[in-house]
Amino acid sequence: MEKKKELESKTRRFHPSTDIYQDEDAVVLTMEMPGVTKENLHIKVDKDLLVIHGGRATEETEGQFRIREIRQGDFYQEYTIDDTIDRDKIEATIKNGLVTLRLGVKESEKPRKITVQVN
Amino acid sequence: MAIVKWKNPKLYDPWADLKNLQNEINDLFNYDRMPSSTGLFDRNVTPAIDFVEGENDYTVKCELPGLEQKDVDVSIASNVLTIKGSKEENREEKKGKYYKKEIWSGSFQRTISLPSSVDSSKIFALLKDGVLSITLPRKEETKPKQISVNVK
Repeated sequence: MEKKKELESKTRRFHPSTDIYQDEDAVVLTMEMPGVTKENLHIKVDKDLLVIHGGRATEETEGQFRIREIRQGDFYQEYTIDDTIDRDKIEATIKNGLVTLRLGVKESEKPRKITVQVN
Repeated sequence: MAIVKWKNPKLYDPWADLKNLQNEINDLFNYDRMPSSTGLFDRNVTPAIDFVEGENDYTVKCELPGLEQKDVDVSIASNVLTIKGSKEENREEKKGKYYKKEIWSGSFQRTISLPSSVDSSKIFALLKDGVLSITLPRKEETKPKQISVNVK
């Protein structure tokens, strides 16, 4: 019984639906996290590890579920980021349950145009 | 409401764990990161919903991440609740490339037949943090009433 309780107290985690897009300036991650507020969203960068955790408050619902399709639990995703990402240029925004994470690419890694000189 | 055999939720049910395991494995096969299309008339993609029957009202919750008020249309006609809208992809000039594309876009529709006890004039809908909550109060006469027992 004790063990069962322990298991139940652990909230379930699953990956959010994600778009990953890269252009010259940044890698942009868009994640769908309905029900996550600014206060419950935790984004952490630890060396090469990018951890995104969107917590959802499990509210006590009074009454009986007739339809239950919404998955219960938190959103959790880990990504490994390489040296091309500038750790100081990571920005995150949340709007209407949609999280946008912009990982800026280092200046030195951006493609440069080399002008050809004609003598 | 049908009469259902009483089950003590506090009693440990040895089959519950097994059922949970089965459900979770089934979830793995069924979950395709896309809203499911279920029902006869819901041919479009349909977002996930919860329907809770409470004592004084019914609550419908619907996951609509990234949608704004203008994108969502909630209507009711003769006890059929329709949630519809469209989610347009951000159509900027995209020069880069996608590594992963799991977020769907397009129009969706979901219809739910409501019990006749819903008071359709007092429906309240709220969109917050990508979750649409619709509160449907019960008609006054269908609310459970306390009947006092007199002892002589």
